Amino acid sequence: MSSVEDILAAENELTHLLGAQQAVVLSTRIRLARNLEGMPFPGWAKVPQRKEISDRCVEALDALPKFRRGHVLRMGELGDRDRAVLVERHLVSKELAAGKSGAAVISRDQTCSVMVNEEDHLRIQVVKAGWHLRGTWHIAEQLDDALGGSLKMAFSDRLGYLTACPTNVGTGLRASAMVHLPGLCLAGHMDKVSRALNQDGLAVRGWLGEGTEAAGNIFQISNQQTLGLSEEAILKHLGGWIKNVVEQEWNARRKLAQEEGEKFVDRLARSLGVLRSARLLTSSEAMNMLSHLRLACDMGCLPEERRHLVDRLMIEGQPAHVQARAGQELDSDGRDRRRAAVVREALKDFPELVSPTA
Amino acid sequence: MSQPIKCSLCEEAATVHLSQVVHGNVTKVHLCESCAQKGGATDPAVFQLADALTTASPAPTLTCPRCGFTDIDFRKRGRLGCPSCWGTFADALGGLLSKVQHEASHVGRAPAGVLPAGQLRRRLVDARCEMEKAIAAEDYESAARLRDEVAELEKQLIAS
Repeated sequence: MSSVEDILAAENELTHLLGAQQAVVLSTRIRLARNLEGMPFPGWAKVPQRKEISDRCVEALDALPKFRRGHVLRMGELGDRDRAVLVERHLVSKELAAGKSGAAVISRDQTCSVMVNEEDHLRIQVVKAGWHLRGTWHIAEQLDDALGGSLKMAFSDRLGYLTACPTNVGTGLRASAMVHLPGLCLAGHMDKVSRALNQDGLAVRGWLGEGTEAAGNIFQISNQQTLGLSEEAILKHLGGWIKNVVEQEWNARRKLAQEEGEKFVDRLARSLGVLRSARLLTSSEAMNMLSHLRLACDMGCLPEERRHLVDRLMIEGQPAHVQARAGQELDSDGRDRRRAAVVREALKDFPELVSPTA
Repeated sequence: MSQPIKCSLCEEAATVHLSQVVHGNVTKVHLCESCAQKGGATDPAVFQLADALTTASPAPTLTCPRCGFTDIDFRKRGRLGCPSCWGTFADALGGLLSKVQHEASHVGRAPAGVLPAGQLRRRLVDARCEMEKAIAAEDYESAARLRDEVAELEKQLIAS
């Protein structure tokens, strides 16, 4: 069994240039909620029942080729910091990390992670860097089929896959895109876009999911309805809207660059200046300035191949990651100091910004 | 601006705010003008806060025979107890589903081997309809995919 340190040390799509990083869409995620037939849902199950659920699910997952040489992590056996690292990497939810009886089975490449005993018995998650809705869906579908071969899932002809919460019943599918929208935020259009998405059945959340702020102009857009729509229809609906949002984001960026001229580049260049010389850097300050650097990479002000480094710093600049890298608990000032040092080091040979080409 | 506080008994805006200390526990209740009148809240001598709150949460009327989960538990947690609860609380959940979901019945994937004939037929109708639309829109790539799906569904339907 491997540990959280191995996860941090390993190169993966989201932190290294392994997959194709893209402008605007950081990652695509598919989540399927599944439950074992005849067992109470985790929130209502007694401790021995939760243990039985966990054992059965982990055993079935561990046998799948997808998780060969992967990680089986039981929340009760991990320290606070390790659990926080997993949350920051989006490998597990805050809810799973908060309880003792949950487990996560994570594939070696970290694209698949299955949460056991979260709100449902099984939460299958697949994440790919960039915008790859079909590819991500196919991996999730295959995992679902494979798991269905060894575990009998709670299913009803009329209601589909049965879940603990009525908002997940049916397909159990939550498809989402993590999008970086500095153009729409700077132009002050984000509220309007959010409202339009909400009205058409899509949820807009901050970077760490439900109830979080949109640090670094990053938003998660996902379907809300899971019953009465086929998986195909849900994906198509989300896909259409993401395409639309990406287009609007590009329009906002081009308009800003055109209207602001030198001021546009100046704003982004100042962020690089601060990130390269600051001695203390808070998490939200770092996120917001790194957002500017990502925008600069997208717009051709910085070389595009630097984008993956910006993405990596966004993930590794989070509090638990900073402490895990330092190998010790740090107070708030200590974290800000350490974060500034990591960012300075990473950006030291970054070139100066040039005028936008995009 | 913050949302106005709603009456604990109905959806009207609350104008009467009461705190009552019973055995050291503070309980707060917010009422609208008319509920406050009805409950006698304007006359502290006769008003019993506990009564007002008990009326708002009556004893359980439904219990899942499989896991012991009740309708009161659902009201508190917003989550169900076990897969069988979906049958136990079917009527009560119907209204909620129609609010939060697209339609009341499932049209997506099913575990291998359990796709029932009714659902197969429904999917077949949808797939044929989508195929015709794709052809009309000259989207031949989608049409070809849907044609294969239709063939597969027809095969499964004959076998079922």
